[in-house]
Amino acid sequence: MNTGYGDGRLSGGGVQGMGGRIFVIAAAIILAFFTFALRLFQLQIVEGAELRSRSEQNFVRTIRLDAPRGEIVDREGRVLAATRPAYRVQIIPNELHGGDRTFLALGQILGEAPSEIARRVGQPSGRKRFQPIVLRGDLGYERFAQVESHRYALPGVVTNIAPRRHYVENQLAAHLLGTIGEVGTRQLATPQFDDYSAGEIVGQFGLESRLETHLRGRAGGRNLVVDVAGREIELLDELKPVPGGRVVLTLDLDLQRVAEEAFRSVDPELPDMMGALVAIDPSNGEVLALVSLPAYNPNSFAGGIDSRTWDQLLSDPWKPLRNRAVSGEYSPGSTYKTVIAAAGLSENVINQEEEIFCPGYYRLGRRTYRCWKRGGHGDVNMENALKSSCDVYFYNLGVRLGIDRIAHYARGFGFGRNTGIDLAAEKAGLVPTKNWKWKSKGEAWIKGETVSAAIGQGFNLVTPVQLAVAYAAIANGGRVLRPQLIKRFETWDREVLKIVTPEERSRVPVSREIIEVVRDGLIAVVHGEHGTGRRARVPGVVVAGKSGTTQVVSLDLVKDMEPEEIPVRYRDHALFAAFAPALEPEIVVVALVEHAGAGGGKVAAPIVQKVLARYFEKHPPEPDPGETQVVVVQDRVAGQLGRRAGGVQ
Amino acid sequence: MNVDRRSLQYFDWVFFSIALILIVFAFVNLTSATNSGVEGGMSDVVRRQGIVVGFCSVVMAVILMIDYRHFERFALLLYAASLLLLVATLVIAPEIRGARAWLFEGRFQPSEFAKITMVLVMARHFHRNPPEASSGMRQLIGPILIAAPPVALIVAQKDMGVALLTLLVAMTFLPFVRISGRAWAGIAAAAVGALTALWSYGLKGYQQQRILDFLDPERDPLSSGYQAMQSRIAIGAGGLFGQGWMEGTQTQLRFLPTQHTDFIFSVLAEEWGFVGSILVLALFLAMLLWGLWIASSSKDGFGALLSVGLVGTLFWPAVINIAMVLGLAPVIGVPLPLFSYGGSAMLSAFISLALLLNISMRRYLF
Repeated sequence: MNTGYGDGRLSGGGVQGMGGRIFVIAAAIILAFFTFALRLFQLQIVEGAELRSRSEQNFVRTIRLDAPRGEIVDREGRVLAATRPAYRVQIIPNELHGGDRTFLALGQILGEAPSEIARRVGQPSGRKRFQPIVLRGDLGYERFAQVESHRYALPGVVTNIAPRRHYVENQLAAHLLGTIGEVGTRQLATPQFDDYSAGEIVGQFGLESRLETHLRGRAGGRNLVVDVAGREIELLDELKPVPGGRVVLTLDLDLQRVAEEAFRSVDPELPDMMGALVAIDPSNGEVLALVSLPAYNPNSFAGGIDSRTWDQLLSDPWKPLRNRAVSGEYSPGSTYKTVIAAAGLSENVINQEEEIFCPGYYRLGRRTYRCWKRGGHGDVNMENALKSSCDVYFYNLGVRLGIDRIAHYARGFGFGRNTGIDLAAEKAGLVPTKNWKWKSKGEAWIKGETVSAAIGQGFNLVTPVQLAVAYAAIANGGRVLRPQLIKRFETWDREVLKIVTPEERSRVPVSREIIEVVRDGLIAVVHGEHGTGRRARVPGVVVAGKSGTTQVVSLDLVKDMEPEEIPVRYRDHALFAAFAPALEPEIVVVALVEHAGAGGGKVAAPIVQKVLARYFEKHPPEPDPGETQVVVVQDRVAGQLGRRAGGVQ
Repeated sequence: MNVDRRSLQYFDWVFFSIALILIVFAFVNLTSATNSGVEGGMSDVVRRQGIVVGFCSVVMAVILMIDYRHFERFALLLYAASLLLLVATLVIAPEIRGARAWLFEGRFQPSEFAKITMVLVMARHFHRNPPEASSGMRQLIGPILIAAPPVALIVAQKDMGVALLTLLVAMTFLPFVRISGRAWAGIAAAAVGALTALWSYGLKGYQQQRILDFLDPERDPLSSGYQAMQSRIAIGAGGLFGQGWMEGTQTQLRFLPTQHTDFIFSVLAEEWGFVGSILVLALFLAMLLWGLWIASSSKDGFGALLSVGLVGTLFWPAVINIAMVLGLAPVIGVPLPLFSYGGSAMLSAFISLALLLNISMRRYLF
């Protein structure tokens, strides 16, 4: 067999053959490894000896300098999450020489029993001896100064200042900010975390987790030559940590604060309300407030959460860790009627003037569906149906449309899919269709279910943030926007890295004229006589809104009970969605109160009102045109009422 | 699957033993490198690596049973499959810290296999087209056509370390082309051109930074030169006999986040000292030289060429990695074969070892 290389052994190959070439390669390999041996000799024997020659007992101590995590501030630069210095006292077991004296002295300063300190240090062996044991992670400055000044008597004790996350406003916007915690072992095994080491702090939920790479910064370190007593003799070198980047949110701290306070119970006897609130700017999708209650204090996570607090948070039946604003799925109730109205007009199954008679119930086959108003609303057109939230009108409209056409418009307004908000826990909600029911339940769709769906009950599920996006689309003329939490990314020294631009995700399948008709109905809800949203009125501003009340359990379960007797978990949820100024909207607010036990107009509208009032206090509407606007609108509402009255006569 | 009795008789126990000692040493070292930190934390890494080595051993056994000459027949097919995997990675892999190089949630890195299939095709090519003095530069066309697709795809994944590595492995075959001194100068010029292009197009800011830091460590001592500096202190702390297993003061503080992967050699140097490091270097050298001996003792041209290429797949990552850890080369993310934590690199090293053993034990079949 001739390969051209002179097959054969190293010796047999000759210059022309394989052997010669292989010899060249072998020589190159040997040369490379010989270089390495020389380099090792230089680093380990020559330089290593030099290092040790400074003293037999001296050695290099490497200290990690953690990077301060980046600041999170609101749209006006007010700090929500900061990093403050925490004074730490640690013990390095390997450097303890006769630990008892150290423990005694340290115990006196810290006010702790020496035996307790000894117990916590234990008898570590192997490499554990070199790992600092944190005795106090967050010591008061005076105690810390005392430890510092007694360092000569405390061999083995190391003090340092480490950055620690601090949430300035405590539980305010807790769910939005999220939590931090030590990187988990499962996380460490994934490539995303392969430049993290055990014990490092990472964002675990909310924005802290979503913005981890930006907020993290880069740790530094310091190499010190230390003598036998642990005293630092010489600084060999140091790498300063680079603080993490700053994030400017779209959030308005004032609105957030007002919103959270609005859920607080007036009566100190009663517990605070639970629920969610989302406020966004309909022109660009910027989130101005995002509330989920009950909340927790993220500061309890900052220094490693203790297991008791953690267990409490986990076992709490009201689930304080859940971000209701983005992952709470609720029936939309009557707030859905806005979508049904727009769908009905777009599909030409009704026009805005057509009147439907409401006797207080709706019959479909043998079943009867009641209107919330027992006595009925009489003849109602679209505007009045929205204003008084007439169920029968929408039962009829829903049946005319059919469930699949309803679903088409619901999706068009952004329901049934994630809004794309920058929070990982977001849920998509549910927009039922015939096909969906067949696939998931194996049953055919029943017409009666369309009746329920038309008033936002039944299978429909939405998140508060979806509702806000849908109402923003009505407010801004049809654009479905991605809710945006971040205004811009900056470096720690405030150099702007990236400005986040608004993102239009789709357009609603509804014409501008129809949106305006629906909008006028929503104005009537708030400003019309007997409108269900009267409690959302703000002086000097035209508000458009819609209330909603959703049953949590079947009516049969609670029909014989007095309102106060109904257990909290069976009580209705209350919703209110609004935007203002109605003709040139600047803000959309959606509030949901869980188990309120009363209607959206009564419980949720006042919460929305407080947020709107605060907003217009900060951004006063131009006084003159504002008032004429109200007058104009009220005239129009009154005019239409009059016209209808005339029609009846 | 025919295992001739004679092949078993000629099983290369020397090569096998060298590799085995290295693997055991690597395992012991990895245990130490990851033992610090939270209780029960990083030992997960060791457990995973144990599973990987177990799996690799099975793969090795299977490869030993197949006569290596079958690989010549299927070389092109395997090569095409690995290119397909690289394309798939480019399309479907998520971006992980700037690179799209891993499949299956970061568990599988196809570029590691492309290296080996490229060597198979390269050996096949040189076997079938023996160099002739007259053909000159045209001899380079084949090898370039073989090396370019995987290298280009890996560059597209933005995994520059592995791209460079694959290129170097391909260049292991350069001694087998016969061209004039002038032609060599041309190749060198082309290489410089390619590197310049890679610098300006391929490298990200931080990668350029690392190289500049290497060329001039004083330029910005507080920046990326730090990893190298830290590695150097750890190695220096090792001294003659080392700090002892699990005793390395620098290692245990886990200063280098990549100390169980790219900087694993610094752990070894600190804990086992000059003596231990030299021992490991000597074992590595012995393994590579024995690989070359396998090449020269193979009576089959394909076997010989393949052996040389396989030695290249072990030599280049080792040499780049150790040079980087010792501060002789810029910080490039290349793992140390057999020592670094990581499944794909381990499997690829085992395949190389298995093929070398395979060639060695069948050297008398002619």
